[in-house]
Amino acid sequence: MKKVYRVSAFITLLLAAAAVLQQGCKNKQGSKELPVQTGFVFREKLSDYGFFAGELKTLQPAAGVTHYEIITPLFSDYTVKDRFIVLPKGKPLKYTANGVLDFPDASIIIKNFAYKNKAGRKVMIETRLLVKDPADAQWKVMDYLWNQEQTEAVKHITGAALPIAFIDDAGNEIRTTYLVPNLNDCKRCHNNNNELQPIGPKARNLNFIVKGQKENQLAHWAAQGMLTGMPVADSIGQLPDWTDAQRYTLDQRARAYLEMNCAHCHRATGDASNTGLFLDYDEKDPYHVGVMKEPVSAGGGAGGLNYDIVPSDPAHSIFVYRMNSAEPNIAMPELGRSVIHKEGVALITEWIKKMK
Amino acid sequence: MSYKQSFLILLELGLLLFTSCQTGTGEKSVYKNALSFGPGDEAKIVETFLMVKDSTDVLLKAGVYHFDNLSLANVKHIRIRGEGPEKTILDFSSQKTGGEGIRVTALTGFTIDNMTIRDSKGDLIKINKSRDVVVTNLHAVWKTADSTSGGYAIYPVLCKNVLVENCYVEGSSDAGIYVGQSDSAIIRKNKGAKNVAGCEVENTTHAEVYDNEFYNNTAGFLVFDLPGLSQRGGKVKAYNNYIHDNNFRNFAKAGSFGTAWGVGNAPPGSGIIILATSDVELYNNRIINNNTSGIILASGFAVDDSAVNRISDQYFPISSHIKIHGNTFEMAPDFPVPVHEHRMGPMFVAVEQALRKADPKIKRIPFIFYDGVSSNVLKNGTAVNPDSLCIRQSGDNVFVNGDFLNMANPASWKPNTDVAPFVCK
Repeated sequence: MKKVYRVSAFITLLLAAAAVLQQGCKNKQGSKELPVQTGFVFREKLSDYGFFAGELKTLQPAAGVTHYEIITPLFSDYTVKDRFIVLPKGKPLKYTANGVLDFPDASIIIKNFAYKNKAGRKVMIETRLLVKDPADAQWKVMDYLWNQEQTEAVKHITGAALPIAFIDDAGNEIRTTYLVPNLNDCKRCHNNNNELQPIGPKARNLNFIVKGQKENQLAHWAAQGMLTGMPVADSIGQLPDWTDAQRYTLDQRARAYLEMNCAHCHRATGDASNTGLFLDYDEKDPYHVGVMKEPVSAGGGAGGLNYDIVPSDPAHSIFVYRMNSAEPNIAMPELGRSVIHKEGVALITEWIKKMK
Repeated sequence: MSYKQSFLILLELGLLLFTSCQTGTGEKSVYKNALSFGPGDEAKIVETFLMVKDSTDVLLKAGVYHFDNLSLANVKHIRIRGEGPEKTILDFSSQKTGGEGIRVTALTGFTIDNMTIRDSKGDLIKINKSRDVVVTNLHAVWKTADSTSGGYAIYPVLCKNVLVENCYVEGSSDAGIYVGQSDSAIIRKNKGAKNVAGCEVENTTHAEVYDNEFYNNTAGFLVFDLPGLSQRGGKVKAYNNYIHDNNFRNFAKAGSFGTAWGVGNAPPGSGIIILATSDVELYNNRIINNNTSGIILASGFAVDDSAVNRISDQYFPISSHIKIHGNTFEMAPDFPVPVHEHRMGPMFVAVEQALRKADPKIKRIPFIFYDGVSSNVLKNGTAVNPDSLCIRQSGDNVFVNGDFLNMANPASWKPNTDVAPFVCK
């Protein structure tokens, strides 16, 4: 309880500070001073928030901080991700059937990125925060970069290029330059109708039993009072697990993969809406999904190929060409990836090969 | 007064206001915050772009700056300006990530003025989902005009109220100035050379393109609609442009001649190409020495057999309501060499040969080339001018209907030069 108190007291303090600042700004209207930032103010260090108990890098959630997982995650250079939600005291999430759950103002989503090194040690890289600012109910974003000593992460807005050597899913060591996004990179992927929004925490992507748990994640949240308005679990959609070939068809897995890796930009309200390529799991029009669809503004990224997907011909499909490259201006997604996701390329290649 | 007229007047007024602020009171302007940087301040500039507050004017002083990329998002009323295209130079040749040099997303009120941007991996400046966009005195160039260049130099897309003025674009492997899926754009007094397309207006409505010079590109100026996008284009006027000597090879992509769609289709030697769009008026342009065709008027079928499957509220493959009048044409005696290497090129050469065979007096392919695919094809109709084309050009050798539908069948293929059905009533 102490920790809950700390987090909510912190938010209250911030709100008060924001109100004072806003007032100050009004009083100074017309003066030559720079406008004062209003609303939520991000702290300098990750530890300032008190999200985690004990040593910071263990990421042991303090009370009021909920660890969560999603069924099919976004690929980010084989990094290991830890995700948490912090809700303001007494304010639950509201269930929404489509799109992201309805988060109350002052919610915080925490996503930590680390890689496994050769020694099997988890090395922290960055922690991203999404905060739903109570001042205007808009989501705000900030990145925290971990220090070499792995004792603290500090606010970092300009992005960074970090040489790392990590172990991929097959156990191979890969050297790359990991690209920490800058603030506007964050906004690009999280852009929905020109507003910043979370991507992962949709009901259908949370609706499963997390490995090692007994109860369905959403049902557990509902039972705890963290989530209201949830219908019976059976009626909630579930995004396929892209790795689970036992339970899902190739098509379901491929579409789930594309939804999580591409659709945050490739949808009618996303940053790549100009392309007319829409990769939401629910998109039914094969042309919008890319089947025999011509590229619009791919430039050299098209690799001289004519169509996004040529059924049964992955070698002539722009999808495979772009996923199978790490070159800027060719690689897709444009951000968040400096190496090729071999397993992802294999899945999409197989999907196109079997497509009639 | 039409909506468009009032928009134009408002835009002019806005520009006058900016100008008077600058000249009347020195550097004091309508912007609340004024920031100034010099070469060596790159890290600070990157941070400023990320954290910039509404209503900020950023001056980049003379010198060469090196950036990986720059981005602006979700702010209002921002101006980025240099001290002149020869003086303030932003170099993106070290780019390691992202699709463009400068990316602007969701701005209301964005101006970039008076500098050079060069050598990014992807586009040089992409302005996405913004309104009240002004790009002036900007040189956007790649040092080598080949397939290693990025796609678009100046690239506003899904924008509203765009002005591109006094710019120079060179080396784009797609279009130098490309305005896509936008509403209300003015493109004037620009120059473009050694791009695949000097300038392209695509799926854009209410565009005026005038007083520009596009030369030594593969194609000078294009108005295209492509299928599957957010909106149809149309209501485009292009006048008083000087479009000359566009005979450059098509370098849309090495190893091939570009994808089946878009600018890879442009045959070298094209002045203006109209493709699958409507309500376009071309007049008083000087269209000189584009040695394959002065104006190509084509349907989506010219580039895609299955265009019929793409018909929707946002796309119709057959161009209609195209007015062409009062332009000046000249053409050199021969096709440009690169046209023979291009996928579409041999069709034009074959049309000229067929016309000469029928009438030895014809020395060159006529200035206006129509692919002959009308909406009669879709309706099994026989109307003489079902798509309301309107051509009023004086002189000889003005028009040819290439009869593309029958081209694969030499017995029934009859390109003809009868412009009468299409002369403006």
